[in-house]
Amino acid sequence: MTKPLLEVEDLRVRFHLRTGTVDAVRGVSFQLGRERLGIVGESGSGKSQTGRAILGLTPPPGEVAAKKLSFDGIDLLTASKRTLRTLRGGRISMVMQDPKYSLNPVMTIGEQIIEAYQAHAKVSRAEARDKALAMLEAVKMRDPGRVFALYPHEVSGGMGQRAMIAMMLVTDPDLLIADEPTSALDVTVSMEVLRILDELVAERGMGLIFVSHDLKLVSSFCDRVLVMYAGRVVEELEAKHLREAQHPYTRGLMNCLPTLAADVRPLPTLNRDPAWAL
Amino acid sequence: MLDIQNLRVTYGTGRLQVDAVKDVSFQVKKGAAYGLVGESGSGKSTVLRAICGLAPISGGRVLVDGTEVKTPRDQTFYRTVQMVFQDPYASLHPRHTVDRTLAEPLAIHGEKNAEERIAQALREVGLGPSFRFRYPHQLSGGQRQRIAIARALILRPKVLLLDEPTSALDASVQAEVLNLLDELRHKMGLTYILVSHDLAVVAHLCDKLLVMRHGEGVEETTAAALRHGTASNDYTQSLIHASSGYTREVLKPAAA
Repeated sequence: MTKPLLEVEDLRVRFHLRTGTVDAVRGVSFQLGRERLGIVGESGSGKSQTGRAILGLTPPPGEVAAKKLSFDGIDLLTASKRTLRTLRGGRISMVMQDPKYSLNPVMTIGEQIIEAYQAHAKVSRAEARDKALAMLEAVKMRDPGRVFALYPHEVSGGMGQRAMIAMMLVTDPDLLIADEPTSALDVTVSMEVLRILDELVAERGMGLIFVSHDLKLVSSFCDRVLVMYAGRVVEELEAKHLREAQHPYTRGLMNCLPTLAADVRPLPTLNRDPAWAL
Repeated sequence: MLDIQNLRVTYGTGRLQVDAVKDVSFQVKKGAAYGLVGESGSGKSTVLRAICGLAPISGGRVLVDGTEVKTPRDQTFYRTVQMVFQDPYASLHPRHTVDRTLAEPLAIHGEKNAEERIAQALREVGLGPSFRFRYPHQLSGGQRQRIAIARALILRPKVLLLDEPTSALDASVQAEVLNLLDELRHKMGLTYILVSHDLAVVAHLCDKLLVMRHGEGVEETTAAALRHGTASNDYTQSLIHASSGYTREVLKPAAA
């Protein structure tokens, strides 16, 4: 691996609330090349906030601090808003959890993809339209022309999610952040969406950050996994070595899932050690 | 204990008619746990809602303990059958304390000694008396679901209808709730109908299950058969496949 695409060192996200300060992310460091990195954790572990902070999408009153947060040599912390705007959606894009809430309900899917493309590339409308149709085809829409003219409420969850992936990939980004892209979908549909995502990422040589609560899914999909607990990375490991995880939290998370293969009763539960959160 | 015969649930009329459940039949023995599995829109939750009177029964019969249920359901029905809903964040009244939430079913059914019963119900679901005067926002997701289970159990029902009881919870919390449900069933001899989209959860808790798709029962099978991966139906097979993780599935077409 040559120069990493994304370098994150000691990332902290903090929310000053009326009830006190919440440290959502406390000193996360990692490097990402053109690979698939999974970030796993339970609710409140700071996994989504890590993904959002990279894009500068931390909602107010959150504040982001880091020793280093650079994307392809550009310092994201000191970059002007203008630079950030060209990066966001252009070279770094993000797929959100639920297509129902993240697509514009009053614009057709085609229009939204064209808008996303024209915001970053100086092309004519006709070209953008062709590109949008090609993208819809790339995400395996059966009838791209028809889907192009549909509104988000007229498509199923799986189709909506594929439309969103099409929109996010239309600008050929170098880095894609996927925040629970399949949690709102049925199992069989989510496999289909993952397969499309997998193909496109491999084809275009993108970096991918896959944020999810599903350890099993992430380990079968990504190359490397970061396990987060209470705002910190407790363990970093190769996905294929997940079985040899050392940290009791990772092991606990893996064991507490019921599986079809084994009938364990009662299920082992997780005894949270306060020392993990230190 | 429960006998569902050719159940149909239809919404709307004429052109807008939707058959949410078409001719679903199954029986659940006393003390058994029965699973309903399927994807969203398969009608699995609607079956539960039809049993307990939240959805209209358009055809077929629902028998509880040998007698057909009346519409609207009477008090004896709700003494026998209680339901636990999917999202504990939505199914508890945000401005009622745990005490008030648990006292409500007792008041409706004119039960005496509420004091004792509430304390006991909390003990049964593994929460201490210190939780009694808290509001839902002061509880974690797992604790809320325990309260929802306590509320269902406080009338000593024989049948518990569980609608995705763990899908809003984290994996580690899911394990706790599943263990609790398993333990309660054995201790109190309860009958469960569990609805879930997660095959592993259903196989863990239930002995028999029905796979549903588009409002129809596709295949009735046993948890043991699922574990061995033997399913006669293609759809069931694809569900088993999808639940076993991602990579293997993608390697197959690549190799072919």
